[in-house]
Amino acid sequence: MDCRKVREVVFLYTDNEMEEELLISFREHMDHCPPCAQEIHRTERILRLVRRRCSRQSAPASLRERILTSFPHRRKLL
Amino acid sequence: MSAATGQDQKRGWDFEAAAMPFVDGLYNTALRMTRNAEDAEDLVQETYFKAYKYYDKFQEGTNFRAWLFKILKNTFINSYRKKQSIPPQSDFSEIEDSFESQVSDEATRGVKSPEQELLEGVLDEDVKRAMDGLPVDYRMAVVLADLEGFSYKEIAEILDVPVGTVMSRLYRGRKLMEEAMLEYAQEHGYIRSGEPSKMRSRRDEVPN
Repeated sequence: MDCRKVREVVFLYTDNEMEEELLISFREHMDHCPPCAQEIHRTERILRLVRRRCSRQSAPASLRERILTSFPHRRKLL
Repeated sequence: MSAATGQDQKRGWDFEAAAMPFVDGLYNTALRMTRNAEDAEDLVQETYFKAYKYYDKFQEGTNFRAWLFKILKNTFINSYRKKQSIPPQSDFSEIEDSFESQVSDEATRGVKSPEQELLEGVLDEDVKRAMDGLPVDYRMAVVLADLEGFSYKEIAEILDVPVGTVMSRLYRGRKLMEEAMLEYAQEHGYIRSGEPSKMRSRRDEVPN
């Protein structure tokens, strides 16, 4: 695997979507190419940052209420 | 509605038990798609309405969560996309086609932002802002992968595109986000634009 290929498939690696065969040659390249290893590490950190910082929020209680009361099986109870 | 049979009642309660645990995920995704709390609430409400209606069509044993998100995405495309005057999908197909050349350009250039400063300078709002600034097709792929943790296969199913398209949208979307976040970090003054010494040393590491 060359550097271009490594950069192309880096997200397959970080997303755990890489097949075994590709993973072996990917790791092999990474072990012998410091710039690529650095780039992979950097990509992982940025992804972690995005996942951590883009915090998820709860749906507003009023929305839950609206959805529940719209269900026909619940309307029967009212 | 006329008197519902006991079976309809049971079906309703079953649906509620299965679907309501995903309301937070659907709301967060809707929020990033519409970029507006009011529209997001309407979109989620409509998604539940449709899912309830078509619950019989759901095939047991298949992925229910992905099925709900697919309804959300279809509802968004049909009702909200026009309203937000977002450019049609074809505008981005050209970019997707040139995915390979884009990758090779970056690999050979080897110019990267200084990672440490980027990570320190980015605020929570910056991440959201960068995500909200993405073209909608990329944004949907990124949200489903990075906020909801769906697999490529599931995202392909939800968006009705091949897995290869999911990969290229994630690639482009994440790279664009990275650029935007770096820009915001620079705006905040955490890093000086340019950083000539670092940029140069990076450029010297020509990949083999």
